[in-house]
Amino acid sequence: MQIFSKTSLVLATLASLSLTSTTISATNTKTLNVYTYDSFASDWGPGPKIKANFEQQCDCTLNYVTLDSSVGILSRVQLEGSSSKADVLLGLDLNLMEAAKESGLIIEHDVDTSKVTTPGGWSDKSFVPFDQGYFAFIYNTETLKDIPQSLKEIVENQDLSVIYQDPRTSTPGLGLMLWMKSVYGDDADQAWQTLASHTKTVTKGWYDGYSMFLKGEADVVLSYTTSPAYHMVVENESKYKAAPAVEGFYPQVEVAAQLKDAPNPELAGQFMQFILTQGFQGEVATGNWMFPVIELGDALPKAFSGLEQPTKVLTLPAEQVAANRKQWINEWLDSVTQ
Amino acid sequence: MRLVFFGSMFVINMLPAMLIILVFSVVGIASFTALLLFQDLSNWYQVLSSRYIWRLLNFSLWQALLSSTLSLLIAIPVTSALMHRRFKGRDFLLQLFSISLVVPTIVAILGIVVVYGRSGWVTGVSGVELPLYGLFGILLAHVFFNMPLAVRILIQAHGLIPAGQWRLSYQLGFSRWNLFRWVEWPYLRKALPGAFLLIFMLCFSSFAVVLTLGGGPKSSTLEVAIYQALRYEFDIAKASVLSLLQVFVCTLVAFLVYRFASVYQQDFSLKRLDSFPVKDSLKARCFDLCFLCLALLILLPPFIAILTPIFSPLFITTLWQENTWLALWVSIKIAFPSAVLSLVIAMAFVVMARACMDKPGWSWLPNKLEYMGGMILVLPSLVMATGLFLLLRNLGVAAFDLAYWVVVWVNAIMALPFVLRVILPTFYQQEKRYRKLYQSLGIRGVARFRLEWPMVRQAVAQACAYALLLSLGDMSVIALFGSQGLTSLPLYLFQLIGSYRIEQGACIAVILVLLCFVLFSLCSRVIGGKRNA
Repeated sequence: MQIFSKTSLVLATLASLSLTSTTISATNTKTLNVYTYDSFASDWGPGPKIKANFEQQCDCTLNYVTLDSSVGILSRVQLEGSSSKADVLLGLDLNLMEAAKESGLIIEHDVDTSKVTTPGGWSDKSFVPFDQGYFAFIYNTETLKDIPQSLKEIVENQDLSVIYQDPRTSTPGLGLMLWMKSVYGDDADQAWQTLASHTKTVTKGWYDGYSMFLKGEADVVLSYTTSPAYHMVVENESKYKAAPAVEGFYPQVEVAAQLKDAPNPELAGQFMQFILTQGFQGEVATGNWMFPVIELGDALPKAFSGLEQPTKVLTLPAEQVAANRKQWINEWLDSVTQ
Repeated sequence: MRLVFFGSMFVINMLPAMLIILVFSVVGIASFTALLLFQDLSNWYQVLSSRYIWRLLNFSLWQALLSSTLSLLIAIPVTSALMHRRFKGRDFLLQLFSISLVVPTIVAILGIVVVYGRSGWVTGVSGVELPLYGLFGILLAHVFFNMPLAVRILIQAHGLIPAGQWRLSYQLGFSRWNLFRWVEWPYLRKALPGAFLLIFMLCFSSFAVVLTLGGGPKSSTLEVAIYQALRYEFDIAKASVLSLLQVFVCTLVAFLVYRFASVYQQDFSLKRLDSFPVKDSLKARCFDLCFLCLALLILLPPFIAILTPIFSPLFITTLWQENTWLALWVSIKIAFPSAVLSLVIAMAFVVMARACMDKPGWSWLPNKLEYMGGMILVLPSLVMATGLFLLLRNLGVAAFDLAYWVVVWVNAIMALPFVLRVILPTFYQQEKRYRKLYQSLGIRGVARFRLEWPMVRQAVAQACAYALLLSLGDMSVIALFGSQGLTSLPLYLFQLIGSYRIEQGACIAVILVLLCFVLFSLCSRVIGGKRNA
């Protein structure tokens, strides 16, 4: 008997609890779920400020669901399928766009992208870019005297020890593969072999390689042209520089997309518009250590204006990349494992 | 005979254990089936006809074989030395031995790079640059991770040597070598196949260490291909085929190891009481000293490198940050339930195995159980988590709402092989020694457990510590299922180094290692009792 009364008491409490929670959610504003990678939403990333800026104008709550990487974002929604609670995906990149489109999970946006400053402008109807940068090799000015002036010099200088990331498992690694392909074309296999002879190691992710470089393991490491800005702004350290490349740099553009089955399509649309405004773009430079995709003028931090700029931008068409990616990865593998 | 076995009394007694094992097996098989639904025969053909996959397989096998053999070769004399000598810092060393396994890979790699790398300590002192990248680096890292694990397992086996044998060898005036040859070796040898397999499987599925310290894609394992298929190609079919291939190869190796190794037979030996002094000699002393120094040389420098940030001002800043403590809390919140769960499942295995030991026709089960538990290791946790996710999705459950429980469950399962390896020998021995006594006195259930507890608590403590530490160090499961509210210490560490904050990441690594130390000694004290190695 006593057990019975206890159970009913618990049930009653639970019922009242659920009642209160429903009343709260009825009066509360809507929640926009944005899937992004963890460093974007972290305290030191651009996420918190962007959230505050957006919430000021939307009368809603912006909720970040964080994944471990940009690939993680895509595989998560692919796993969830149409039952996903995601409204917006934030943090895919150029090379994931085709795969994301093929998944059939995203819809086209109606954002005016004419102001976008990515190389060659932006015309894609499914994705809105939110930041950009270029892959580059970083060196330490205190230890490296003979500065490579081009990708060719990095590939061919046998005295230069190099660390880069695996194109099978990391974004910059894939970026380098495309960079090599656009510089060397059909001779890329030869170039990979030459590079392999003075490669210190190839790492799984960006962080392994970059931290090993900071410990002094290699002369140059593959990263972004914007990397030195972090050291300048946060550590007040200017010894790290990006090596120039006369052939041109290969770009990295990070993009956002709205989901077809977004629970809050209106809010999601509003957020897509917000991406190309000052409230979002003003935070990406020192938050995500990338360039904004619209002209910010004086609002861009000083450290960024002194960074290595591309003399030319190399890009391979997305369809060509998607069609040949596996084959190019195999070419890389065969060349470097010989 | 079967009828007696399934007698009603027996079934009632075994019911809880059976239920737990049933849940464990059903969830495991169902998750894997969820993955298998995605594949057809053409996947198998595609995978098996790929030269690349065979090359990976070949290299995985080769390096795993070398790494595990080397780890054991060093571990055997080190164990013997540790058991014969008492010196200052011995307890500390033993704790250090338990922790190396759970240091996050990237932290260990950076530790090794700081010591042996181009700008490392060794190069700084000697002026000679070591050829770190290649087989040398892989072996160094794998021995760093696994030799201590082997020592802990062998120490356990060493503890099973009965007092009578020590007494006898003392009376016969055995030299240190004869003692090892005739007393210690037969016992250590029994633990070798199990330890070898455990380490072999760990090295076989090692990923970042092999790629990074191996110097590039020439050194890749099958695990790289699984990760690539699952994350970058979203090819679940290929990933499951590759995982099955991995399971198959490891089963084959396990079969060969057990085929040619002596069968694990526990004897009726009496409990060890006191150790007897052994005839010492200069040669024996030099020998012990050499191997202890070697162990220290492998283990200590990377640890010192990892712990150096403790003196930086940034460490204090990190300690004052709320995020650090939040991550610490999440780690503990995950580690404790999954350690308990892991122990509960392991105990169910133990109860079942013990019950079967003297049942005619079922005595094969205990041996197989231990090895089945070990097979979990070769299933990448990422694959396991994905399978579980797909299973939940097929059942109409939103897996990410259950993220916390999924992480706890998968971590508990991942720790199971270690837990089993630690507690099974001790419990088996208890069973063999006292079963008849308990039976004749009619001591059962709780009463029996209370009598047994003092004799098994050390093993349980160590098992619990391993389960805790492994869950603390987990990275892949929580990365797949994690969300905003679920940032554990390792995940926080990766977030930091993923956005240039490498120094602060190093501070978090220190906190993680210190936490492991604290939890390990806590387990030893609270569960293992005062008298504990």
